[in-house]
Amino acid sequence: AATAPGKKITARLKRTLPVRGPQAPTVSELMRWYCLNTNTHGCRRIVVSRGRLRRLLWILLTLSAVGLILWQCAELLMNYYSASVSVTVQFQKLPFPAVTICNINPYKYSAMKEYLSELDKETKKALETFYGFSEGKPKVRRSVDDWNSTGSDFFQQIPLLKVEEFSRTATDLYSGQKRKIEGSVFHKDSSIVNSGDSSDIIGFQLCDANNSSDCALYTFSSGVNAIQEWYRLHYMNIMAQIPLETKEKLSYSAEDLLLTCFFDGLSCDKRHFTRFHHPLHGNCYTFNSGENGTILSTSTGGSEYGLQVVLYIDEAEYNPFLVTSSGAKIIVHDQDEYPFIEDIGTEIETAAATSIGMHFTQSCKLSKPYSDCTETGADIPVENIYNKSYSLQICLHSCFQKAMVDSCGCAQYAQPLPAGAEYCNYKKNPNWMYCYYRLHEKFVKEQLGCQQICKDACSFKEWALTTSIAQWPSVASEDWMLRVLSWDKGQKLNKKLNKTDLANLMVFYKDLNERFISENPANTLVILLSNFGGQLGLWMSCSVVCVIEIVEVFFIDSLSIVLRHQWQRAKKWWHGRQRGKEPRASEPQRQGHDNPVCIDEDLPTFTTALRLPLPQDSPLPRTPPPNYSTLRLDTAFTEQLPDTLELGQH
Amino acid sequence: MKLKKYLVRALHRLQKGPGYTYKELLVWYCDNTNTHGPKRIIKEGPKKKLMWFFLTLLFASLVFWQWGILINTYLSYNVTSSLSIGFKTMKFPAVTVCNANPFKYSEVKPLLRELDRLIEAALERILQPTPGNGSQDVSPPLDLELWNQIPLVLIDEHDKDNPIILDIFETNQTAVGNDTAMDSTASGSKLAAVCPQCSHQGSENCTYRNFSSAAQAVTEWYILQSTSILSKVPLHERIRMGYQAEDMILACLYGAEPCNYKNFTQIYHPDHGNCYIFNWGMDEEALNSSNPGAEFGLKLILDISQQDYIPYLSSAAGARLMLHQQKSFPFLKDQGIYAMAGTETSIGVVVDELERMGYPYSDCTVNGSDVPVRNLYSQYNTSYSIQACLRSCFQNHMVEICGCGHYMFPLPEGVNYCNNEDNPGWAYCYSSLRSSIKQRQICIDSCKETCNDTQYKMTISMADWPSEASEDWIFHILSYERDMSTNVTLDRNGIIKLNIYFQEYNYRTISESAATTIVWLLSSLGGQFGFWMGGSVLCLIEFGEIIIDSLWITIIHVISWCKGLRQRRARRLAALPTVSELVEAHTNLGFQPEPTGAVPRARALPPEPGTPPPNYDSLRVQPPAALGPDSDAD
Repeated sequence: AATAPGKKITARLKRTLPVRGPQAPTVSELMRWYCLNTNTHGCRRIVVSRGRLRRLLWILLTLSAVGLILWQCAELLMNYYSASVSVTVQFQKLPFPAVTICNINPYKYSAMKEYLSELDKETKKALETFYGFSEGKPKVRRSVDDWNSTGSDFFQQIPLLKVEEFSRTATDLYSGQKRKIEGSVFHKDSSIVNSGDSSDIIGFQLCDANNSSDCALYTFSSGVNAIQEWYRLHYMNIMAQIPLETKEKLSYSAEDLLLTCFFDGLSCDKRHFTRFHHPLHGNCYTFNSGENGTILSTSTGGSEYGLQVVLYIDEAEYNPFLVTSSGAKIIVHDQDEYPFIEDIGTEIETAAATSIGMHFTQSCKLSKPYSDCTETGADIPVENIYNKSYSLQICLHSCFQKAMVDSCGCAQYAQPLPAGAEYCNYKKNPNWMYCYYRLHEKFVKEQLGCQQICKDACSFKEWALTTSIAQWPSVASEDWMLRVLSWDKGQKLNKKLNKTDLANLMVFYKDLNERFISENPANTLVILLSNFGGQLGLWMSCSVVCVIEIVEVFFIDSLSIVLRHQWQRAKKWWHGRQRGKEPRASEPQRQGHDNPVCIDEDLPTFTTALRLPLPQDSPLPRTPPPNYSTLRLDTAFTEQLPDTLELGQH
Repeated sequence: MKLKKYLVRALHRLQKGPGYTYKELLVWYCDNTNTHGPKRIIKEGPKKKLMWFFLTLLFASLVFWQWGILINTYLSYNVTSSLSIGFKTMKFPAVTVCNANPFKYSEVKPLLRELDRLIEAALERILQPTPGNGSQDVSPPLDLELWNQIPLVLIDEHDKDNPIILDIFETNQTAVGNDTAMDSTASGSKLAAVCPQCSHQGSENCTYRNFSSAAQAVTEWYILQSTSILSKVPLHERIRMGYQAEDMILACLYGAEPCNYKNFTQIYHPDHGNCYIFNWGMDEEALNSSNPGAEFGLKLILDISQQDYIPYLSSAAGARLMLHQQKSFPFLKDQGIYAMAGTETSIGVVVDELERMGYPYSDCTVNGSDVPVRNLYSQYNTSYSIQACLRSCFQNHMVEICGCGHYMFPLPEGVNYCNNEDNPGWAYCYSSLRSSIKQRQICIDSCKETCNDTQYKMTISMADWPSEASEDWIFHILSYERDMSTNVTLDRNGIIKLNIYFQEYNYRTISESAATTIVWLLSSLGGQFGFWMGGSVLCLIEFGEIIIDSLWITIIHVISWCKGLRQRRARRLAALPTVSELVEAHTNLGFQPEPTGAVPRARALPPEPGTPPPNYDSLRVQPPAALGPDSDAD
């Protein structure tokens, strides 16, 4: 009695929401049903076609179509992250870039005398010892007064050496004693070293201060390079000890450097320039640095509308050992960019007018996953020690500086200081030179990992420069030009300027076309899906619906059929065991369409449509059903035309 | 007869319409459509039916949404660019060669004599401010007429608030009262050279142009004055005063073929005087170059005779040259480069082309005909370029506002160049126009760039030429050839060698193509529809058909409803609803959807005897005869 309501409920549930498995009793039936009813082409052909050959052919064709689809879709997926490039040229008012101008010589030689006299003395002595060169009569420069004082011990630590290649002995500059070279020999420019006949090579030896046996000898094929490199090392040592304010005073002021300035048809002066102290180039001046918030722009191309400056180079103040060329260096860069003047600067000749025509290009790359670049540099694990926007150069320099601080304990002079570090000098870090050279060697050989960590920036602005030079001032105008410029320079300077002390520079836009190169994703999800659809449709006339069908038929239905078979077998086996040996004529296995489970809801018949009770199985005679054909209601149109009738019967 | 029968049949069919009910129609549609979802809705069990119904809806909305995206993408007219680099036989660029100095000083000296004396005296005063130097007493009195139009003054800014203006030739000092553009550029202790310009209404309305450097001020002043003087000289006279081709072009070699100054086309350029263009392509075919390298390029030797330079006009000495397209005007101030005297300049050329699609992909013009600016450079028979447009725009404004044309640009018809006598206020007008940002913006907005943009990228390198060893004989031969004299008439300061040649890769072409074409759009739309629902255009037509059919059904329903209303009014007798009404659809032979389903008709009517079936026809609500003619009349 208790079970009766429960049964009722389940029976009702079964009736209203029948849970039925697949209609086909076996997998092969299911396949046949699928093939006949699916929307994809090809499958139906397999079932319908007659003859083994034909069927085989259709199977092959269908399978190859499926293969093609899979291959093409994989291809589409792999090419999903590709970019297309578009170049747009826009003619518009352009922002004028920042122009940084430096004198090649960083500091006034006369002002540096107190710091450098020792070093210069050493250098001159070396020149005399090795090459027999002595400054006969100083032309412009002042001679170093006292020549006989002994050098300080710093210079003795890293002396210049004359190396005899074959005997591997080195002659010291001071003692003249020969000593055996230990450790490794580094050739700074190795291609010339093995030329054989160069018996004496100049170089210097750097030793680890803690472990004097660990030495590295740096040799140069030419004394010019050796002396310059050696001089630079000591020079950096000395400069590292001078505070920034003093250095700024030692260098050129804006009035010193700029004689005249003209921008966009209007006069400008030193207030339009921002000072920027570069460790190797001293005071540099940036025009249009955007410091006061306004960025100048040009609305007309051409040389008259750009920046025109006359620079005073003052060759008499050049340091003879540090810089051997004269002129100025300029770099055109964006306001946010750090000017790497020593790396990518353009040199300006004296006694000439240099006209630099610019062409502006802006590029924009897509970042991940399209290409490996960085938008802001925030995802690079290297701290930006320059307070400018990220660039590859900044990253590399920062990375090296960081490695330098980590392994040598002090910072290299040519790059900005990281927080909490100070520049290397002998007094505090006697070992730094050796450390620096070792590290630099590693850096160049990409062993520090900097090149791997640093990525290029995704967007960058570029000014392509066309540089040409004309003689300036011309022979005819030289006289008055120099006189007036001398007057401009001020009455206190009571001498006429020399034309080799002057450089004329014009920086202008050749045209106001901005070329904007940008990458766009070649594919969006929508396009990818349409391409999928195109492929599926082309080969098999398939759609997502077909895919769902396939999932349904091949996975869910066949699985359930297999499970059902297993279940029935298990049940049979269980029954057999329960009944023991009692053989019982089992009901004939209901198969196929006899299986009541599989009575599918056929297309609605008359009875089902009307929800009439199912006809009783009893063979009792009864009233034959009325001829409903005659029951036709009158529609708006009485006459049924014969052709539509025929159609209906099909 | 046959035709009439056919027509009647057609009429009947039209009248009849689809004959379904809405539900019938939908079921029929779902069953027979080619789109993949709907069939499932009717074929599956109740739960699956629901699932498929929502799936189909979801897919349909996905399709429409993505179609929207695709059409939007198409309408944004994106372009993709393709880049090609290589070497091919190309037209050698037109080469324009000018001297940096426009006229021979020996020729223009008579015209500029007064001006030169004036500036010399002024410089004398500036440089030695202490009076009493008796040097100028010897020279004849200066003509101060030129000076008084645009004088140079000094501004003494020792006192910041009260600067003193010092006219160089007069001793009276005037405090600045009414200067309009006075911005104290110079530092307090320095003297600034200023050149004021007054409009012709009177001296009250004055603008001072400040210069921080005297050199700059003197140059600008001189240019203004000489422009005014030279603009009065007729063109042929100006051409005569400039450098002649045979004097300037000493040697020419193109590839292996010799050429001479006759191969150059003369053009008068206001900035640089006589310019000579090689391979301009105006009269003859442009030359092709099919080999890279200096051997196959153009080699030129020029003489710029630096001694004959106008000292105050051009301070830079050298040749000005420019590479440009055939039949285009050379804008040397923008795109020109210098070549230095006493050097050999080698220029490797890469042609950088940009081909654009034009409207609606990008805003550019093919030949400038749709630009609202009169192109004044068309009088040279040259093609449109953005530089020509900007300059024409400026000149048109200048003519409009100042009443005369600027000397540096070509003249529109019926207008003269500005000079100090006829237009005393022109300098003021010109400089205010030139510095007007509004005017520039108007010009930038109205000019469009060309769709095919060709630039010549140059790699410039220089070497000293002639070398010390070869100097003597080279000068000797060149002097002999030019002047037929055995004396050397040339020197290092005047001679220039130029090599212009194609590099190994001589072109870099960026061409645009539409990223989205109509074919792309259709295939993407088809792809989307096919991907989600397996549909095609035919499916859309099917759908349209169904909509028309349902409209028909509505019409028929309305008609029959109206009719029913009329009849009901006629006969208040309400007929009982019959079974046949309910099963109408299934019994209507015309719309039996599945004849194989249900019970076959033959079996449904067993042949066994029984009660004769009721004559349901008698149940008809109205006699058929009453309706027949009615419906036919519809």
